[in-house]
Amino acid sequence: MKQAHKIKGHELLVTAPSFLWLALLFLIPTFIVFAIAFKPATPLGGIGAGWSLDTLRSLSNPNYPAIIWRTIWLSFATTALCIALAVPTGYFMAKASRKVRQFLLLLIIIPFWTSFLIRIFAWKVLLHPDGPVKRALVFLQLAEESTSLLYNAGTVLLVMVYTYLPFAVLPIYAAAEKFDFRLIEAARDLGAKSLRAFFTVFLPGIRRGLMTAILVVFIPSLGSYVIPDIVGGPNSEMIGNKIAQRTFTDRNLPHASALSAFLTLAVMAPLVAMLFLQGRRGKQAPLIQEDA
Amino acid sequence: MSEFLEFENVSRFFGDVRAVDGVSLSVKKGEFFSLLGPSGCGKTTLLRILAGFEHPDTGRVLLDGRDITELPPNKRKVNTIFQSYALFPHLTVFENIAFGLRVAHRSRDEIRSEVGAMLKLIQMENQAWKKPDQLSGGQKQRVAIARALVNKPEVLLLDEPLAALDLKLRQRMLIELDIIHDEVGITFLYVTHDQGEAMSLSDRIAVMNCGKVEQMGTPAEIYEAPRSSFVAAFIGDTNFFEGTVSEMIGQEYSRLKIDGFPDVVCFNDKQLRVGGPVFLSIRPEKFRIARDRPPGDCVHNAVAGRVEDVIYLGHSTRYWIRVHDFRIAVHRQHSRFLLDEKAIRWKDEVWISWHADDGFMLERYSESDESLMETPPEALGVSHFQTAAAENNDHQPAK
Amino acid sequence: MKHSRLPLLTTLLVLIFFYLPIVVLVVNSFNASRFGGTWEGFSLKWYAQLWSQDEIWQSLRNTLFIAFGATAVATVFGTTAAFALHRFSSRLQRFHYTLIYTPLVVPEILMGMSLLLLFVALGAQLGLFTIFLAHVTFCISYVAMVVLARLQDFDFSIVEAAQDLGAGWWTAAWRVLLPLLAPGIAAGALLAFTLSIDDFVISFFVAGPGSTTLPIRIYSMIKHGSPPLINALSTLLLLVTFVLVWLSQRLTEEKNQT
Repeated sequence: MKQAHKIKGHELLVTAPSFLWLALLFLIPTFIVFAIAFKPATPLGGIGAGWSLDTLRSLSNPNYPAIIWRTIWLSFATTALCIALAVPTGYFMAKASRKVRQFLLLLIIIPFWTSFLIRIFAWKVLLHPDGPVKRALVFLQLAEESTSLLYNAGTVLLVMVYTYLPFAVLPIYAAAEKFDFRLIEAARDLGAKSLRAFFTVFLPGIRRGLMTAILVVFIPSLGSYVIPDIVGGPNSEMIGNKIAQRTFTDRNLPHASALSAFLTLAVMAPLVAMLFLQGRRGKQAPLIQEDA
Repeated sequence: MSEFLEFENVSRFFGDVRAVDGVSLSVKKGEFFSLLGPSGCGKTTLLRILAGFEHPDTGRVLLDGRDITELPPNKRKVNTIFQSYALFPHLTVFENIAFGLRVAHRSRDEIRSEVGAMLKLIQMENQAWKKPDQLSGGQKQRVAIARALVNKPEVLLLDEPLAALDLKLRQRMLIELDIIHDEVGITFLYVTHDQGEAMSLSDRIAVMNCGKVEQMGTPAEIYEAPRSSFVAAFIGDTNFFEGTVSEMIGQEYSRLKIDGFPDVVCFNDKQLRVGGPVFLSIRPEKFRIARDRPPGDCVHNAVAGRVEDVIYLGHSTRYWIRVHDFRIAVHRQHSRFLLDEKAIRWKDEVWISWHADDGFMLERYSESDESLMETPPEALGVSHFQTAAAENNDHQPAK
Repeated sequence: MKHSRLPLLTTLLVLIFFYLPIVVLVVNSFNASRFGGTWEGFSLKWYAQLWSQDEIWQSLRNTLFIAFGATAVATVFGTTAAFALHRFSSRLQRFHYTLIYTPLVVPEILMGMSLLLLFVALGAQLGLFTIFLAHVTFCISYVAMVVLARLQDFDFSIVEAAQDLGAGWWTAAWRVLLPLLAPGIAAGALLAFTLSIDDFVISFFVAGPGSTTLPIRIYSMIKHGSPPLINALSTLLLLVTFVLVWLSQRLTEEKNQT
């Protein structure tokens, strides 16, 4: 039919620019990462000709399991803490009056838009041995003079929660705003206590916001690099650090590539699981709704 | 003979759903024609096919002899009043109305005079510089009408334009639409689910159901001579009776056997054979109700019953009379002063009678249509057909 | 939760948590002391010193240059993408959607790495241009999502009305669609601009020697440089961000009022 054909032409035209750009600069490079993992490295930091399994063998480095494990549990912990903080906050914001809500939203968005390097650096200053927090803790006799607040896994966790918290608050708030709070009244009318109503009515009600929040915290956390690099120490390295180290310090691109490939697979797994779950429920709407 | 606007066997399918199913109808020039039917009957789809926003899967649309089926919407001399008005929020009232003229590259003077004339027609000269969000519902609708009419279309399409208005405003706009149609003289194609709107405005109505046209005619034809139980029940109230033909009385009348009734004489609206089934529809206002038995004659039917429900409305009273298995709805107009006579009350024994010409024989009957009525029998009691159907189900499990 | 104070307390805690480091930073930028532990008097000397750091201003120029360019391209491509996703629902679009949505969730390091390998494999020279290409790549997705959200709230019967009144598709888009979508597109562009200015990881991976952006310079200052200068620079950047966020909120508010 003539009209159906016309639509096709229009569609291709409108889809092409973004589609081609992302295919060339996002999709294909992802495949390249996997390919280069099978290539040998040259001493000068380039990529050698031919193929080799050296890189894959390098993945059996005994240090790696510890790093991988640390990356995973740090990401889990970050996600859990972010959700735990974001849910009451989103709940409060959704129930607040319109003016308060807009004000709070602004307050939450501002750090989100500030340079994240600066915010990480701010923590470095704050937690500095001569800094105010340390001095306060020593004064309150909660810490020794010799303990360092910086350069350990705890610091990394703290700063990661700090960095990713806005990403968790926004989708949860968006879902809470759409939630019909009369459902909670109905639950309490039927005899449920507040806490029970919260867990059995509110949380399922903001399910999609929760899923989005988990997604946008957990996955980027897995790839954290700057945070452990600036406020972490040698005992709190994550996969991201290793990738950067192989790229810039060791100048071994295939190794870095192999690690990246591994990380990509680790990241794809929850993503695919999420999309599969969404597909099974038959929803067409996007899982993430950006609202800047 | 071809009319001004013709739909020829138009169909539109969405997957398995037949939104419009082989519809053929014709509209006369200058007519106020309504498409009436419940949600999902296909009336809006048919309208959009005419406007050019849907392409029919079969059939053609002809306007003034020209086949416009393949034309895009902007090339048709047809304009639409959308249900949500769809006024351009970033343009003033003046610019909204002027839009079509600007697109057609008319001169500034022409635009000024035409838009000015329209503003006068809708009595909004002083609001020309307002934006749509500053207008009331009724004003928005008038701007939508002006915006369409200024382009002098051959057909004006109205998609449930009064649906978003409250009752009083709706009644006022009904009158205004009527006036505008008379003044402008353009063919109007009006889509609605409200039978009151359709009946009061239209020259002719097409009643639609499930993608098909059930019946087409003037409001009086549709009301007095519904061909199917759907049309009879969708518009106004009625009573349904099922019977068999026991004998023919000349060419024009027949005698029917209806369960629980004495023999009923009825005018033949269709071809009948003795022993065959007949479905009758008798409107409630066609009955006379009295305490005493009316004098019998060969063209009147009378039957005794008991009053089961009464609703007094001032100008009229509605009764429900039980006769055997039937609950018959009767509307009685109080054309005489009422206080002197003894009113007919609940549980009274009464006689109801009607003229043989006033019952109408349906071509098609379906029990589910009974629920379309304003006061369906189930709401107040059990209809004859439900008990009959229940008995049938006992004997024949398969449907 | 009606009577529980927990949500309120948590929100306050979260807000304090958010702003504490920032406040400390800003305060310290005016601190005459070098080490931020003790207050030694109000001073603007760090700002003065900042003024003479040429490398910083050069990197700022690079950053702005790239940001404007990348925003322009990403806004166009992101807007067309949003249109395609909204209007069509074929298999192509489902794949298109995955392509748009995935960059939003993958860690930046993966994107940086893959782009670096692409450029190395192509033998391309790493520099400002490669950074520009990288920025466009991740910005498209953000613009697309913002514009898509606006499109979903958009009453398209207005476009049909324009066509009904005689406008062809292009005329209708020009006279009706674009004027009403402009605020949404602007919001998307602003988001892209902010992300581009702030990007570190991806830029770091695809930058060449001598092509520094401001975040890269900040990073090296953090690793090797003088903390008070960073404080001063950060405060200035915070100020700029405040203005941009305020602008963006105004744009969204105006849209809500139409």
